[in-house]
Amino acid sequence: MIAVWLSELVVFALVVAGILAERPAALAATGGALVAAAALLRFAPPLRTALAAGFARHRAAALAGGAVLALALPLALRASPYWTFVATLALLYVTIGQGLNLQIGTAGVINLAGAAFAGLGGYSVGLLTLSAGWPAWLALLMAPWIAVTVGAVLFVPILKTRGHYLALVTIAFGFIFNILMNNLEFTGGPQGLKNIPTLRLFGWAFTSKPALAGVELPAHANFYYAALLVAGLTTWALRRLHDSWLGLALNTLRDDEIAARCCGVSLTRGKLLAFSIGNLCIGLGGALYAVMVGFVSPPDFDFGYSLVMLSVVIIGGVDSIPGVVLGACLLLPLPERFRFLHEYRLLLYGAVIVVMLLYRPRGLWPAAVRRYR
Amino acid sequence: MSAMTAPILETRRLTVRFGGLVALDGVDVAVGPGETLGVIGPNGSGKTTFFNALTGLYTPAAGEIVFGGRRVTGLEAHAIARLGIARTFQASRLCLALSVFDNILIGMHARRTTGLADSVVRRWRFRREMGAALERAAHLLALFSRELPGRGFEPVGQLPQIDRRRVEICRALAAGPTLLLLDEPSAGMNPEETAELMRDLQIVRAEMPGLSVIIIEHDMFVIEGVSGRVVAFNYGRKIAEGSFAAVAAHEEVRQAYLGTERARA
Repeated sequence: MIAVWLSELVVFALVVAGILAERPAALAATGGALVAAAALLRFAPPLRTALAAGFARHRAAALAGGAVLALALPLALRASPYWTFVATLALLYVTIGQGLNLQIGTAGVINLAGAAFAGLGGYSVGLLTLSAGWPAWLALLMAPWIAVTVGAVLFVPILKTRGHYLALVTIAFGFIFNILMNNLEFTGGPQGLKNIPTLRLFGWAFTSKPALAGVELPAHANFYYAALLVAGLTTWALRRLHDSWLGLALNTLRDDEIAARCCGVSLTRGKLLAFSIGNLCIGLGGALYAVMVGFVSPPDFDFGYSLVMLSVVIIGGVDSIPGVVLGACLLLPLPERFRFLHEYRLLLYGAVIVVMLLYRPRGLWPAAVRRYR
Repeated sequence: MSAMTAPILETRRLTVRFGGLVALDGVDVAVGPGETLGVIGPNGSGKTTFFNALTGLYTPAAGEIVFGGRRVTGLEAHAIARLGIARTFQASRLCLALSVFDNILIGMHARRTTGLADSVVRRWRFRREMGAALERAAHLLALFSRELPGRGFEPVGQLPQIDRRRVEICRALAAGPTLLLLDEPSAGMNPEETAELMRDLQIVRAEMPGLSVIIIEHDMFVIEGVSGRVVAFNYGRKIAEGSFAAVAAHEEVRQAYLGTERARA
């Protein structure tokens, strides 16, 4: 158990050091240490199996340790509001990635308009608060359902088509969404919606700086904890759905539609359910994003972000719940360290996806056999 | 067909068309409770089309299907499956990446009683039901092989051909059907495997005496060994019906398989 916690702590310390290291020498040292640790695991099978067995045996302890470290992260990053923001963004992508993974990974419903559904959530929050005068928390609860409704209404006719057709239609939907947001009057056109009121819960405004154990944290830490709660709940719920009759039925639909139908699985109901639950999570992520930055505009939800969401799923592990968490935690903060590459760092996403598909097509953390625990 | 109780399945003038092609042409077939009906016929004679029409994968152009006293013509495949028709496929349709248990559990999909809320928040209910379902899956596997239940959590792609066929039969049985459709279970098997398959089918017969079975087979030893009554198809029509010996001796059946005198000359 101590070994499990110790290894978690080492990874945490290295990651935080990697984030906070400013000087090239320090950065190289922590980067080197991380690579060395990964290589040690890669090329020392006994160590790997021992660690895996340890984590499997002390699953509750490992999860608790991870939770403590996740709660402590804003403390470690308190000097940098920017990195607190990036960490929050990664957590939003965990929520979004879990939803997208249910669609793409579990059900084989290829949705390439993740950003558009997140945008539906974000714009709904903006409109409900600014135009309808709703409080932010109520808009936040309502917005994901708008994404679900739009998705269900538009896509019911084509959910029955297989593979590429649906993927193409979702791409088209993503672009249509963007063009509409750019040109509609009530969504603010290219300027988007500004000054979305921040979240207020029990008199606590999310723009005020929280203090944890006497240490003052940046205001973004509020959203960090909110996003952590949401990401945790989503992951927990979708893990259970995946390891249930639903996950099994969706996997069977994905692998062999005819066999699934002959076993009593309704194609329309199954795919619609996966699509809707997925959009609920994606819309929720987008809504939280809108409340956090207080501003939504068309470029925040363009096709590029759909691809980032897709790569979270592919790199983490298709159909793998822990894989999505890993993918989001790697894919959001890591490119930020490569800011000096400017726009070229987007090429990095492409290169990483190609390499992954070639050498690890099932992702960094492949899906395990369902055990229904 | 002997004078028997009401048939579990009856087709009346069942017809399936693909454009101008008549794949199934006015077929009347009836199966009684607990009966095993063999279906023979040359390639392309409409045997698999018959199964696909029965299971709702094809929509009949004319005629009707009555199952368990209910008209099921035109129902969707999943609805027909829920009424109690289960099937296997000529080319295996297992999900190779999923575990052996998963491939059987999907057969119990329609019998589940726990929903989404039970899967997430009232997990104990789901666990209780799933525990029983896993036991049932292991029990079904144990009918055929002593070692298969122990391999339940392995991907089904790691099993040899004969065991995959068994898993597919288990999946069909897991649904608790009243009618089982077996589409050429011996396809691609060598004689030893076919003999094992015969034994497996006899186990199914013994374990579930009330189950009605329709079996498509090219292997005449299998047909002779397991089925009480046989129908023969050719060009989408039923050309003969009766005991195996009678059908095998039937003039039109012999012509369908061997060609006519003139063609041979």
